[in-house]
Amino acid sequence: MQPGDAPLLLSVRNLRKYFPIRGGLFSSHIGDVRAVDGVSFDVHQGETVGLVGESGCGKTTVGRLLLRLIEPSSGHTFYRPPPDVETRLRAIYEALGPAHLALDANGQKLPPNADQLLRELSGIAQKYSLYRMSPRQLQKLRGKLQIVFQDPFSSLSPRMLVRDIVSEPLAIHHMGNARQRYQRVAELLQAVGLNPEHLWRFPHEFSGGQRQRIGIARALALRPDFIVLDEPTSALDVSVQAQILNILKKLQAEQDLAYLFISHHLSVVRSMSHRVVVMYLGKVVERAPTEELFNRPMHPYTQALLAAIPIPDPQLHRERILLRGDVPSPASPPPGCRFHTRCPAVMPVCSKVEPPLVPIRPGHFVACHLYPGPEMPPSASEAAPPAPLPVAS
Amino acid sequence: MRNLRTYFFTYDGVVKALDGVSFNIRRGETLGLVGETGCGKSVTAFSITKLIPDPPGRIMDGTILFKGANLLWGLEREAKFRPVPKTNRVKVIRWYHRIKRGQDRMIAVRGGGISMIFQEPTSALNPIFSIENQIGEALLLHRGVQIIDGLLGATPNAPAVRVARDGLVRAARTKDPVAIREAARAFGAAANLPSLGTEAYYLFRQPVTDPESRLSELDHAVRRTRLTHWQRRYLVRQRRVLELGRLLKEVYMREMREARSVGGPRRAITNRRLWERLKTFYFGLWGVRGRMKKPLTRETFWQAVQLLEGVSIANPVQVARGYPHELSGGMLQRVMIAMALSAEPELLIADEPTTALDVTIQAQILELMRNLKARVGTAILLITHDLGVIAEVADRVCVMYAGNVVEIAPVKELYTRPLHPYTQGLLSSIPRMDEPDKKLESIPGSVPNLIYPPTGCRFHPRCPHAMPVCKEARPPMTVEGEGHTVACYLYNGPVYRG
Repeated sequence: MQPGDAPLLLSVRNLRKYFPIRGGLFSSHIGDVRAVDGVSFDVHQGETVGLVGESGCGKTTVGRLLLRLIEPSSGHTFYRPPPDVETRLRAIYEALGPAHLALDANGQKLPPNADQLLRELSGIAQKYSLYRMSPRQLQKLRGKLQIVFQDPFSSLSPRMLVRDIVSEPLAIHHMGNARQRYQRVAELLQAVGLNPEHLWRFPHEFSGGQRQRIGIARALALRPDFIVLDEPTSALDVSVQAQILNILKKLQAEQDLAYLFISHHLSVVRSMSHRVVVMYLGKVVERAPTEELFNRPMHPYTQALLAAIPIPDPQLHRERILLRGDVPSPASPPPGCRFHTRCPAVMPVCSKVEPPLVPIRPGHFVACHLYPGPEMPPSASEAAPPAPLPVAS
Repeated sequence: MRNLRTYFFTYDGVVKALDGVSFNIRRGETLGLVGETGCGKSVTAFSITKLIPDPPGRIMDGTILFKGANLLWGLEREAKFRPVPKTNRVKVIRWYHRIKRGQDRMIAVRGGGISMIFQEPTSALNPIFSIENQIGEALLLHRGVQIIDGLLGATPNAPAVRVARDGLVRAARTKDPVAIREAARAFGAAANLPSLGTEAYYLFRQPVTDPESRLSELDHAVRRTRLTHWQRRYLVRQRRVLELGRLLKEVYMREMREARSVGGPRRAITNRRLWERLKTFYFGLWGVRGRMKKPLTRETFWQAVQLLEGVSIANPVQVARGYPHELSGGMLQRVMIAMALSAEPELLIADEPTTALDVTIQAQILELMRNLKARVGTAILLITHDLGVIAEVADRVCVMYAGNVVEIAPVKELYTRPLHPYTQGLLSSIPRMDEPDKKLESIPGSVPNLIYPPTGCRFHPRCPHAMPVCKEARPPMTVEGEGHTVACYLYNGPVYRG
């Protein structure tokens, strides 16, 4: 699917979430954990966006921000902006540049008409941004944006029957009467591959895979058009994982759902997503269509991540890219490019200047000093592919 | 390992966690153990080292032969079982003195023979002791005699040490790390104490403009290895105690090998050991012991540093001085591996060593394990649910389902020609990086309840090829190729016998 075909569903712009660290005298504010630091991407209707990264890189925080389960420090998520608004937004952000964020401006200046642009931006945000909505507007929207949690053992109340769990969102949104709700719940269970007799059971009577199905049924109850899947299969066995992934794919085809698929498991992401966003320490390092990303990974981190996945094929021998060391603390991220402490292709500039996210090819964005700007036109770039990275042995 | 059965006796009934598990591990090979959650992988690992919590669990029968010794000898005399009428509970009457004797015998193989890496590195280390302390404890326990011999045989006053000291200063001036390393090693060899070489290396490793300024520290390090009269007496006495411990291990090994109790020597050793301990008691008095143990702690510290270096930790001295909470998961797992390898075991059981880690860290640990296998030559039992990890590391694979072994094959054979329907299902349900468009097959249903396991083949309720015979009797292991055995009625090769 091409990103341009379907209407835009969510447009995430410069999202930030800093968790304050309190301590010292009178528990004053002594620092920030920069969990999410300027993340932007789009989600179109009916598409799956994969969000990949190691633990602690801010994947889950992004998922929770998109549903406004937590408030962001700054930035916007626009819900269904019309095409004309979208083009205007693009133009505004283009004109403002990274300077208006004032945090990593790298000495750039604001344009002369910045005040006017910012005012216009806040006007659009009043109408379309999730974080400017009144509680009542948000309540309406909650039905459209849903989430499936990572741990199926703690996300279902042990005291409620499956019927109550799945019909609770319907009751909250005053959908239908009791009989209609009951029918809807039975339908939903059928859709996720459970039997109507399971309605009268408690969560503890189910296995992990079945519980995750109940969680999916609950998310589907209000006919959402966007679901955040926060590592839905990481607590499950491989054989059960395949069942859940197949159900998710089937539901997407039937109901034109959009997913944000959060996972650290790259092979699962590859089989599920249309586009992939790679995060490292709260920043997007690479963003591309799935096939493009997996066939031509550009950022050294993505390359290392791909090389690190064990492939279940003993005959295959690949070149290994081993990263040294651990992920630095997001409370004091390294200056410049956040990956430079572990990067196999590190340059002097990396520890000073933070690389911007620039398009390399259509739809493929990379934040790395190795790729300073768009490549030559497609014909030229195919003739001379980018030089392979120096690989640490 | 033959026909191992481990049951857990709970109020709901008897959980038959392992029901007749058999496989071999050869010297120096890596056997991968795969299966879903609750199929008995970890129970197998804990059974091999007899770490099953008892009660509720008990190894019912079977033999585990380790270098000709049956680790489970005397099992049938440890407990008797009486079914409780009208329930599916079983009453277990345990003879605790015999169970304790059986546990005591395990000291003969734990650590030195078989050692283990646990799944959660964060909970496997003690948070209140420093890393150095914990590795040192393992070192003293298993290599105490060698360590004391090394200390007693050291020659820090030899004239060669003086010469090597000058060489070290010269190497430090060149600022070439390889030369410094070589000179430090020569320094340790001159003093007949390799750990002194390590200490010298870390003194001179940082490039210093004036190497002479470090010389006083070096001389101090040398002075610390000189033993006082009382320290020497303490070490000799400690060595005697440790020597008795080693003798005791040999007696236990003999008991397990010959399957008979050799009570006489064992009792004599235990009594003499107690007597030696009493005699060393006055050294253990507060304020005396610390001074007596100083050379020993110094030695274990630098040996721990050497071990940490071996698992490619960049700054081993700081890590050794640190505490577990200061390290990340990947570092802790390295520390665990270093500790497990400190006694140079012949078999290393790695129970899901990379499950709690990120992919990039996992790749580091797997690379490390591959290198160690090549260098040290220990056999590894790698337990994991990730078939990708198995493909990268293992030589042979053993697939388990619901407490049974269903297939054993060399790793290439298993991935190209999986025979058992469960293995086939498992392999086709992994999303592959190299074949993204493949439709994911899934195995219908879920893992059975092991209190009421299915009759016959335990996989038949989920099996696509289930036949009437599958419900009736357990399929035998049949040979279907070189080193490839499978338990399934679809194949009728010759029955596999040990």
